[in-house]
Amino acid sequence: MLLATLAALALVTFTLSSLSPIDPALQLVGDHASAGTYVQARHELGLDAPWGLRLGRYLAAAAHGDLGVSRSTGRPVREDLERVFPATVELATLALIVGGVCGVGLALLSVRHPHGLIDGVARLISLAGNSIPVFWLGLIALFVFYARLHWIGGTGRFSDAFEYTVDMRSGFVLLDAARATVPGALTDAAAHLVMPVMILASYALGNVTRLTRAALMGEAGKEYVMLARAKGAGPTRVLLRHMVPNVRGFVLTVLALTYANLLEGAVLIETVFARPGIGRYLTTALFGADMPAILGATLLIGACFVLINGLTDLAVRLADPRLA
Amino acid sequence: MAQSLDDIVSLDPAEGFELSSLQAFTALYQRLVQPNRDRPEQLDPHLAARWTAGPRTLTFELLENARFSSGNDIRPEDVIYSLSRAVKLNRAPSFILNQLGWTAANIDTLLVKLDAHRVMIHWTAELGTAVVLNILTSPVASIIDERVVTAHGEGSDAGNGWLKSHSAGSGPFKIRRYIPREALILDANPSSPAGAPRLSTLILKNVPDAGTRRLLVEVGDADMARDLGPDQIAALSASPSVKVLEFPSATIHYLLFNTANPDNPALANPALWEAARWLIDYRGIADQLLRGQFVIHQAFLGQGFPGALDDTPYHLDVARARQILARAGLAGVHIRLSVFNQPPYGDIAQSLQATFAQAGISVDILPSEASEIYSQVRARAEEAVWLYWVPDYFDAHSTAGAFAFNPEDGTKTLAWRAGWQIPALSALTRAAALEPDPEVRKIKYRQIQAEVQKSSPYVIALQARSAVVVRSAVNGYLQGVDADMAYYDRVTN
Repeated sequence: MLLATLAALALVTFTLSSLSPIDPALQLVGDHASAGTYVQARHELGLDAPWGLRLGRYLAAAAHGDLGVSRSTGRPVREDLERVFPATVELATLALIVGGVCGVGLALLSVRHPHGLIDGVARLISLAGNSIPVFWLGLIALFVFYARLHWIGGTGRFSDAFEYTVDMRSGFVLLDAARATVPGALTDAAAHLVMPVMILASYALGNVTRLTRAALMGEAGKEYVMLARAKGAGPTRVLLRHMVPNVRGFVLTVLALTYANLLEGAVLIETVFARPGIGRYLTTALFGADMPAILGATLLIGACFVLINGLTDLAVRLADPRLA
Repeated sequence: MAQSLDDIVSLDPAEGFELSSLQAFTALYQRLVQPNRDRPEQLDPHLAARWTAGPRTLTFELLENARFSSGNDIRPEDVIYSLSRAVKLNRAPSFILNQLGWTAANIDTLLVKLDAHRVMIHWTAELGTAVVLNILTSPVASIIDERVVTAHGEGSDAGNGWLKSHSAGSGPFKIRRYIPREALILDANPSSPAGAPRLSTLILKNVPDAGTRRLLVEVGDADMARDLGPDQIAALSASPSVKVLEFPSATIHYLLFNTANPDNPALANPALWEAARWLIDYRGIADQLLRGQFVIHQAFLGQGFPGALDDTPYHLDVARARQILARAGLAGVHIRLSVFNQPPYGDIAQSLQATFAQAGISVDILPSEASEIYSQVRARAEEAVWLYWVPDYFDAHSTAGAFAFNPEDGTKTLAWRAGWQIPALSALTRAAALEPDPEVRKIKYRQIQAEVQKSSPYVIALQARSAVVVRSAVNGYLQGVDADMAYYDRVTN
């Protein structure tokens, strides 16, 4: 399944890139280059070969783990991805934990006190999380909490004092900072990570709160809920013991989809906070018509989607005996 | 320094041709000769202590006891290796050296070691000594350490793979570490023949978002920031903790009509070109639409270039444009205008669309990705296009050879791309390139610019300015008019 999906993804991405009017050779050598340089660049990029042959070569190399060399970084795409992907995984995972826990909690409170103040606040938060652009929120947060109040670290993963002294072996900044012998590195890394995580979490929180609340409200009028109430169960017990088990499969699916979106969609936060990540890597590659980088990043994100979907299906079956 | 580094493709001077790479090369490498940073018209000896000119030859005597950052002495072999390598690698900037008539096939016979300190170069193209010297000031002619580079070569790559992210030069700095799209960290090279820099370390940090760059320099986590928008600069200009340094840039923005397009014969009509000169709201674009980023400039050599023509005879005058069109019998003209699909080109195109419409010329705006537009222009497939021009080296011929030179030998210059047949003007441009007297050269270039300004399928409108914001404690940063002229070595903090 994974291999078939990745092969299809590679085929579609490769085809679309071939149909694109962007000329990667001209993009590389620039407008002033001579015809000879342009022809050599086309040859070196393999663009003078037939489409089928290029696709075949790419798939054969990719099957052996060789994703080619990025034209814009000059390094193997695989090495680039190994450097940037952990940064995005770390950011998205922490954002999902914060957004998921708070989102589910807020949805529960909202359903427990429907149409009251808490419900109104929850709906407002979910609306804001879904409608305020994260890049704007990021800039405002930097302006207020970094530039004015000095409560958080600025951009990047560390302050300059640590940025190039901590060995980023794993690519996960908290892990590498904790392993480093440099005093203060972990605190500094956390100070730089907290705001990007919170802002990305606000998007996750909005999504999770809205959908979880809607699912629970949909359960509220069902017969099994009325029966539980008739048998004397209190509102909290009805919610937690009867309604939640019925929506946990749905909530797991929402969390999984949100996580996949966070992995792919962290690009704006990565740009505003000048952090490395796969979203920014892919976007920069797109602007530079860097096909090996675009294909490599797309395949990795595609693999993540397939993996997350597979794990979610498994988790939903385990969580809901009716689907087992 | 907070800036965008996303454009860097390579830090090999034979390959890198992006703004950030070119600026880094001046810190990392030296050339035989370079423009004086305060008076760029004057050439300063750098790795060459002196030179003598002969018929299509130059003999350079190398600076004594000059060393690369590796400690290796700088020899004629390094000069020959650097220049021939750049030609043979045939990467983006190699066309600059190709203008000398240098090719992979003949370069080995044109660079000759005379003795342990002297090297002689020959060229086959019809160019005067002044132009050749200026070509040798371009970053692609940087002198690299042959012994270090060949030791890191893999296969037949001539060390290109290694030099993409390392340095092997004699400039005031050397690369400590390059992390693509994150940072370029430079250490001082105290033994540089250019003199030791004042800073021990220079970190160029990739901060892609301009708003974030502004905050970093405002707070003090960055000492310098470049490429800020007009709003950000306006917000910072009142702050006592920072200074805004403004520098003219040689980048020229212009409108080009493709007279070779058979689908729209109006494009070849000089009356349309003339009317268009009166249909651009120069003042509105420079002062309001793109506040602070451009100045009005209507000749192909930007202010600061030797021989630049600073006259700005044109302004928005719709009535006059209507008269010109009516006199020529041009009515119902329709133009498809290609523009880059990024700021500020959309704003400029909309301004043109509005003012051209007032004279009855309808303009369709076709926003496209840059390489797509370049493909169209190279194939002469577009109708009209708004472009910018950056000189390749600090000599008027770099630009005149594009705008006012369309030889019949098949060279596809900008004039060829516009379909502009100009045998007389091409001869004048060739004569200017061969002219030995600098003052006479300037006169000739002013004459050529005046002709292009008055009657050509280009409407040259704007010259870019660049601003660098620095903390108030930072002094000594200087930036010249050409893309590579970023001088960090005298910066103090």
